[in-house]
Amino acid sequence: MKKLHTFENVIINLKQFWQKQGCLLFEPYNSEVGAGTFNPATFLRILDKNLWNVCYLEISKRPRDGRYAKNPLRFQQFYQCQVIMKPAPNDIQQIYLESLEHLGIKLREHEIRFVEDDWESPTLGAWGLGWEVWLDGLEVTQFTYFQQAGGVDLQIIPVEITYGLERITMVLQGVQSVFDVKWNNALTWGYVYRQNEIEYSRYNFETAPVDTLSALFVTYEKEANRLFDEGLVYPGYDNTVKCSHLFNMLEARGAISISERAKYIGRVRALANKAAKLYLKKSDEQANVSDD
Amino acid sequence: MIDFLLEIGFEEFPPNFLVRAAKSLTDQIETLLKQKKIFYRSLRTIYTPRRMGVLVLGLSRRQKPQVVEIPGPPKRFAYDAKGKATEKLTGFMKANNLKSNEIISKRTKKGDYVYGRKEITGASTENILRDSVPSIISNLEFPRTMVWNDKRVRFPRPIRWIVALLDRKPLRFEYAGVQANRYSWPNQHFSFKPIRLEKPREYMNFLRHGGVIVDPNERKKIILTRIRQAAVKSTGKPIYTNDMIEEINCTTEYPEVVTGNFDQRYMVLPKEVLMTVLRAHGNVIWIRDTNEYVYVFSAKKKALQNVKIGYERVMESRLNDAHFFYQNDIKTGLQKMLAQTKGMTWLEGLGTLYEKAVRLQNMVEAFASVSGVDMEELKRAAILCKADLLSEMVREKEFTSLQGIMGGHYARSGGERDGVADAIGEHYLPRFVGDRLPKTLGGALLSIADKIDNVVGAFLSGNRPSGSNDPLAVRRSGYAVIQLVDAFDIHLDLSGMINAMLKIYRRKIEDGVLPEFFAERLARYLQDKGYRYDEIKAVLASWNGDVADAKKRCEALKSFRGSAEFVKLVIGQKRVRNILKNVKAAMVVDTELVAETAEKALVKMGGKIRPNLDAMIRSKDYPEVLKLLLEMRPAIDKFFDDVLVMCDDKKLRENRLAIVSTINDLFLKFADFSQIVIEGERT
Repeated sequence: MKKLHTFENVIINLKQFWQKQGCLLFEPYNSEVGAGTFNPATFLRILDKNLWNVCYLEISKRPRDGRYAKNPLRFQQFYQCQVIMKPAPNDIQQIYLESLEHLGIKLREHEIRFVEDDWESPTLGAWGLGWEVWLDGLEVTQFTYFQQAGGVDLQIIPVEITYGLERITMVLQGVQSVFDVKWNNALTWGYVYRQNEIEYSRYNFETAPVDTLSALFVTYEKEANRLFDEGLVYPGYDNTVKCSHLFNMLEARGAISISERAKYIGRVRALANKAAKLYLKKSDEQANVSDD
Repeated sequence: MIDFLLEIGFEEFPPNFLVRAAKSLTDQIETLLKQKKIFYRSLRTIYTPRRMGVLVLGLSRRQKPQVVEIPGPPKRFAYDAKGKATEKLTGFMKANNLKSNEIISKRTKKGDYVYGRKEITGASTENILRDSVPSIISNLEFPRTMVWNDKRVRFPRPIRWIVALLDRKPLRFEYAGVQANRYSWPNQHFSFKPIRLEKPREYMNFLRHGGVIVDPNERKKIILTRIRQAAVKSTGKPIYTNDMIEEINCTTEYPEVVTGNFDQRYMVLPKEVLMTVLRAHGNVIWIRDTNEYVYVFSAKKKALQNVKIGYERVMESRLNDAHFFYQNDIKTGLQKMLAQTKGMTWLEGLGTLYEKAVRLQNMVEAFASVSGVDMEELKRAAILCKADLLSEMVREKEFTSLQGIMGGHYARSGGERDGVADAIGEHYLPRFVGDRLPKTLGGALLSIADKIDNVVGAFLSGNRPSGSNDPLAVRRSGYAVIQLVDAFDIHLDLSGMINAMLKIYRRKIEDGVLPEFFAERLARYLQDKGYRYDEIKAVLASWNGDVADAKKRCEALKSFRGSAEFVKLVIGQKRVRNILKNVKAAMVVDTELVAETAEKALVKMGGKIRPNLDAMIRSKDYPEVLKLLLEMRPAIDKFFDDVLVMCDDKKLRENRLAIVSTINDLFLKFADFSQIVIEGERT
């Protein structure tokens, strides 16, 4: 009988693979993020000159992408497996392809395309060059060599590999909808998340309170600034991430006009830049201390 | 004879500048070989998404030997009476390391001289290539680059290997941390093992076995043949452009095709939506009017079934999304979206999208006199044209490019008249240089109004273009306005339109700024139409805001500029300009003071010509205007020959300057001839 690649097995297999590559196995962040890049294990750790190899699961929340559980591929929440290797190994592309084979995707029987994608996160002041990786036409990974983060040029170039786990599993299981993906041998992804999708689509698009969200944005922004002023990077950055999610929520509600949008993005970016500069300053100070 | 292979291997290169980069690499290698006088039989450009290079066959091992001649002393000092070498000659030979059989004598203009003639053996091709190739790679230019390792060399994507093989020997050099060698890499779908090359001639075949067609021309042929074969079974024809095929060529190493279908129910979607969804998926080519498409992939043939299922799954999701937006939008209707534009800021300080639409509605009043215009439809289109920005479809990133087009569809499905829908659908055109123009007059007029609003809005909101900075891309808008006014032969005064727009805004801009902006756009446009810059400058000196008129004047100048008469006329006008350089106030000719014959003749001629000239300019008969002005030349020349303008008598001098000035004004009614550059003249 053909071995079943369950969703949970895919997660375990990927973690094992990257553990063997020398990655520290980390865990998800504890606040809403649009992507694993927002996790301090990526955003802050890529800034300094120290070696950093890490792999973790992240729960990505994108309020605008909800479709009330009616689209087979789009939903407001999905699982990512995030890998950061700093510095990026020379054969990283091949290592990545081997990771797909490790999951059971035989390259001889599929098409893997690296489609040019100049990745940018305006809210994080981060950008890099790389690709979306398409597996038989389905985007399953974002592959990026970061060049800048928090408005700072990176001294050591890290590679970021972000897998879309539901989609990869879908291809492995040969099903047409993420809702049909088998999570384990008994239950499907749809069984676990369908109601969540429907309710969050309603919340994100229809009932999330715009005034409250706007007010919260201001509160968290103020708090982040206060914390940065006190020299506290991590707590300040946590508040920055909250602002980012609130902005995504406001956008899903259609409450932000084109020109306001740019302003909101600028405000989050200003916080992210502060976090980056403060982090670097502190890591320099620490380096000096240990040198003594 | 030896062969040379250079292959730079990298991770997938951006397709839109791969061809240019690969050609530049070939050109530089070719130039090097020619400059260094290294013979070769053939040279071939290679590129795929993961490599670029050149394959040079039949190279000589060394540079062609060079003959150098070193001039020495005159022959008569080189030899004594007995024909023996003098000290002068031996000294010359010693200094230049010449043997006696390398001494020749040559007859020159100054007499017979001794020369040293040396044959210098050329450097080896190997050394030249090894020394030059790294700098050739670093000379390549790209629009966007990155760094990836501690060498911090910039390239569009990481370089992972370099093959530099001269016959059986790899050239030893390092670039970006990569040591050049004899190992190439196959298509990753085929193998992860490097391909060892003994010599360059194995390259094409070995790579073919590794799933890589390295020759782009061969690949392109395969792609086209496969697409045609795949579409044969279908009822429709595949739609593609050469650019699309080129892009496919830049994203495939080993082209295979598969046909796919999507659900018939999506055929209700507008054609533009279908094409946007399909195009967003790269190498997908729609078979017109069917629910079928061809996809070109770059893997093993064995992958075909998985690729087909995969693509159908993705298309289903994307089309499902588009269909969802489309149906919701039709349910909502443009009228309701229009109401929502009241809450959407257009530009900081310039109000909402709704206010913009109202301005456009006022603005189009200026077009009431344009022949063939249906004002009722145009005004309806103006108020509705921005509503689709609130539609779910256009708000989605993937479909933003369909702004206007979707508005047109929603207008039609909402029961608006065709003229209204067409004008909305076309009012963004042309969106970029070289884009298509609207087909309908309504579309063109609405586009003009919208773009004038963009320009004026930019100037009012602190977004003026300056230098390389043009935050709202209004130079393009200004250019498009000129293009449309000309293409639709709309005789409207541009400055009038600008003023109308400013009035609607109830705001002011310093005099002359906007007319100057449009004059610059017009100059650019006329240059693109093939007129010379000096002709344009001459005409724009007398420009009244009418685009078609400026073009006609340029045309007249262009057709006359070859004649000898014309050249003399221009030279005369330059003289006039110099004489008048320091004259500030306008002067009146006092006929009492006109004494000399040539003076009288010129004044008389001017008086005679003026009414005719005015009439001809009114009827825009510019060739006749030029003929008339040319008729004046003999009288002008005679005047300058016989009459001293800058005479000592102040009264006489000022009167003569007044004569010159009035004649000059006649010329200026048509153009400023002194701007024309005459062949051989320094400017």
